[in-house]
Amino acid sequence: MVLDSATRYYWLLLFVVLGLNGPLANAQNATRFTISGTVRGGRGETLPGASVAVPALNTGTAADSAGHFSLSLPAGKHQLVVAFIGYQQITRDINLTKNQRLSFDLQEGGNELGEVVVEGTVTLEQKLKTTQMGVEHLSIQEAKLLPALFGEVDILKTLQLKPGVQSGGEGTSGLFVRGGSADQNLVLLDNAVVYNPNHLFGLFSVFNSDAVQSVDLYKSGFPAQFGGRLSSVVDVKLREGDRQHYVATGGVGLISSRLTYEGPINKGKGSFIVSGRRTYFDIFTRALNKANEGKEDYSPIPDYYFYDLNAKANYTLGEKDRLFLTGYLGRDIFGFSSTNGFNFNFQWGNTVGSLRWNHVFSPKLFVNTSATVSDYKYELTNKLDQFSFSLGSQIRDYTARTDFEYTPDDRHQVKFGAMLTEHKFGVGRLDANSGDGRVNFGSDVNYYGLDGAVYASDNYKYSDKLQLEGGLRLAGFRSGSDQYGGLEPRAAARYSLSDKTSFKLNYAMMYQYVHLVTNSGATLPTDIWYPSRLNVKPQRSQQVSGGASFLLGGGKYLLTNEVYYKWGRNQVDFRDGAQLFANPELDGEFIFGKSWSYGNELYLEKKTGKTTGWIGYTLAWAWRNFQPQRGTNGVNNGQDFHPNYDRRHNLTIVVLHQLNQRINLTASFIYTSGNLTTLPLGRFGIQDIPGSSTGLDPRPVPIYPDRNSYRLIPYHRLDLGVVYKIGARRDQDLTLSIYNAYNRRNAYFVFFETVKDKATDRITGFRAQQVSLFPVIPSLTYNFRF
Amino acid sequence: MTRFLKAAALLPLLALASCGSLQNNIDVPLPSYSSELIVECYLEAGKVPSLAVTTSVPYLSPVLPQVPNDVTVTLTLPNGAQVPLAFSPNYAALTDTTGVKFHSHIGRDPLVARPGDVFKLDVVDTKGRHATSTTTMLAPVPIDSVSYKFNDKSPTERRAYFLTSFRDPAPLDDCYRLQLHKGDPARGVLLKAPETDNSLEDRLLNGQQFVFGTSYRFYPGDTITATLYHTERAMYRFRQSVRDARSANGNPFGQPSAIYGNVQGGVGIFAVLSGVRMTKILR
Repeated sequence: MVLDSATRYYWLLLFVVLGLNGPLANAQNATRFTISGTVRGGRGETLPGASVAVPALNTGTAADSAGHFSLSLPAGKHQLVVAFIGYQQITRDINLTKNQRLSFDLQEGGNELGEVVVEGTVTLEQKLKTTQMGVEHLSIQEAKLLPALFGEVDILKTLQLKPGVQSGGEGTSGLFVRGGSADQNLVLLDNAVVYNPNHLFGLFSVFNSDAVQSVDLYKSGFPAQFGGRLSSVVDVKLREGDRQHYVATGGVGLISSRLTYEGPINKGKGSFIVSGRRTYFDIFTRALNKANEGKEDYSPIPDYYFYDLNAKANYTLGEKDRLFLTGYLGRDIFGFSSTNGFNFNFQWGNTVGSLRWNHVFSPKLFVNTSATVSDYKYELTNKLDQFSFSLGSQIRDYTARTDFEYTPDDRHQVKFGAMLTEHKFGVGRLDANSGDGRVNFGSDVNYYGLDGAVYASDNYKYSDKLQLEGGLRLAGFRSGSDQYGGLEPRAAARYSLSDKTSFKLNYAMMYQYVHLVTNSGATLPTDIWYPSRLNVKPQRSQQVSGGASFLLGGGKYLLTNEVYYKWGRNQVDFRDGAQLFANPELDGEFIFGKSWSYGNELYLEKKTGKTTGWIGYTLAWAWRNFQPQRGTNGVNNGQDFHPNYDRRHNLTIVVLHQLNQRINLTASFIYTSGNLTTLPLGRFGIQDIPGSSTGLDPRPVPIYPDRNSYRLIPYHRLDLGVVYKIGARRDQDLTLSIYNAYNRRNAYFVFFETVKDKATDRITGFRAQQVSLFPVIPSLTYNFRF
Repeated sequence: MTRFLKAAALLPLLALASCGSLQNNIDVPLPSYSSELIVECYLEAGKVPSLAVTTSVPYLSPVLPQVPNDVTVTLTLPNGAQVPLAFSPNYAALTDTTGVKFHSHIGRDPLVARPGDVFKLDVVDTKGRHATSTTTMLAPVPIDSVSYKFNDKSPTERRAYFLTSFRDPAPLDDCYRLQLHKGDPARGVLLKAPETDNSLEDRLLNGQQFVFGTSYRFYPGDTITATLYHTERAMYRFRQSVRDARSANGNPFGQPSAIYGNVQGGVGIFAVLSGVRMTKILR
């Protein structure tokens, strides 16, 4: 482990921060008491992230992942305001004469953001006053109202509408955050890592909106409890289920249906939720195949469908103890049987489990201890007569972690904890056999890794104007005899110029010890995770960002501007023609380089009133450099280049309007610079060996001198949506989504096509073709609740 | 296999893209491009050495092949003798349908080549472009057997798969090219496009028996000839990179590849073909 100068500096900063606060905090303790408790929704579900504030004192806190909060206040009378997006806020007067436990049950404001209402606008104030920068909180109520491709609500695609977040391409769920690649995002489902958060080659995310409660996306200023990825943290929390009633909800859409059942356990001591989703492409394709079977040139359409199951249960063991159990199982299944006897089956998916114990030691100290398992694998099998062939890969993690939160007084919020993960990397498994034994070979390349970290952070309120946060994470990784480690300092500061204006600054260093092995332009299910070992050193990034936030319009609007600069080393790529499968010497296929990105994000949001939404604009640059190395020319002969998701401009406008009690209207508009792509500048023909083809092989061989040198046309799209509530209790709805409302032909990719003379079938020329993916796509979804 | 997966990923996208006018002609202003010498030479024992020297062109330029007439080619034999190959292009081969290959330069005498022989190639034009290459003839690897098996379907749907077996030599890093031609070899089918054409390497099967099969695709009465070339890794990599470069044009999931050969100062491949054949009639 190397303690470089930057690391030493941040150790020092942390000690200064911690050292500064002692006397000040002690001076406050004499006449203060703590209120603590839980914030729940009307159905008994806890509400992580709910705010508990005392506006008169300009202080407050947010509920943790168990919905638990703790707030130290001076003795005396106070007015508490408790709020959460999508719920009606509660205002309660208290007379604080001793430590108190209080619980709040917020009633749902229906599906409408507009019903969050009115004065407090606490959530925007909370964003203004927190030291945390670069975080986006998304409630599922928000996501469900927005128009969606094929009507499939997708939280990852909704996150793409936030500033600083780019999609990988038309319709895909991949996230590219502040110049980072898709594999540099840590995706968590109730604390367990989800290694492949996509279905159908990235067109849909694995998160069923019926089961999800909220999503937090951290783009910078990463809290010290998070680590292991360079670019972002996507923290998804599942709903807990209704603690009072048995309820069935669901929906029937264009491509899938959903069903969720939830209810109380043991008279409200706990609750459960089970939710499933399945697509039905395969039902249509099988019917088509049956209709066409026997016809000349019949070629069956492959079977494809995906499903996912989510389940969660929680139980209150006593006043101070709660248990949470989460499970997820998702699979994509692709099957093909050709008329010439070739059978092909391919399935992939995640399995995730999490058991968490929440224990409250005292109003000031509580702990979450969890054990999780994450598993991602794919399996591909071919069969022909007596011959069979299968290949696959897998990554499986077992993780134990404990996270403490200690609030000694109203100035400090201390978090500390530790985690340990055992990884198994099944980098490639291959088996080929024949019934007569003539074919019998295989390969199985496995590695193991141990990933551990301890962390501590303190959010220190120095004064009403100045708030500081310092954190340190000491992380290490071992695979075989290779060991790595590093300190990851985190620091943040917020200075409030007034009640309406604050300035923020933060810094974070991150290490990534696992790497996605892919040589494709997109995330494919066959991509492999590979540990840091041998020549493959951990990736590292650092980021500084600064910003200003302004509450405008009497607190109805929050305008935020953030600038960032992020730089990384040991970024990974692969040499041309790399052998990425079943290769026991895979580390020889990597090449390593630098990355850096910078930009400005402007964000105006409104969360209350009948019309809500946001406008975001990002001006950004992303760069990479891979010098000649390891017998290669690097990338672009060592010249700087942009990754394909580098987009200079990105504008999003999202509007949600509650027309009346039954009708919500929504619209989202996005404009971005086009994706970068690699086009061939030259071509040549080859003759090949005798007996390979006749004459000069007419198919041109493209020559690609530079990577990502051509920018596609700008991408823009308008989506419209209407949610119409039906039924006496307005507990059913019809949701109409119109994706790409003005039928823009956005460029998905460009290629060069050969032009042939129809009479002679000889090539007469070449021309460029632009392919678009989705025209205007209306879809109707029926959602119900019983 | 990865190619298959990428193609599979493409299927639903192409299905959508094929709905309506989702594919359009566009103008793409490509930056200027400097052409390179393209050299392709496959020597065979007992045959007169020849090669094709062409140049690469800007992608959207006219389709005619560019055959420079100012190129001097010299082949150096294993004994050090230098053999000039004269510029004598057989343009007729460009439109030939019998399988005759195009060459721009050709020698006079049949080549003598044995396993282990090293040949060198020197290509220079009047513009100062200079390409060189070296290759070694490998020992042929014998085909142990070829076999087939018919399915049990009705006579009209009766098809056979075809198996080719050979044993990989003990040293690592052997590469092969296996072609299956259908038809009577006496009628020139071995010069025409094959039924299957695969590049193989021994990375996972070093020193073991290779059994390479097809799907059920052959009919009763078909004559199948298996040709197994033992190739240098450079030729294997050249074919792979040509394939990757071609497949990246038109596949949004593809990663463009540079072309990797063994020609320094240009692009291309120089090799000695070392092959064996075995023919079987499917009864």
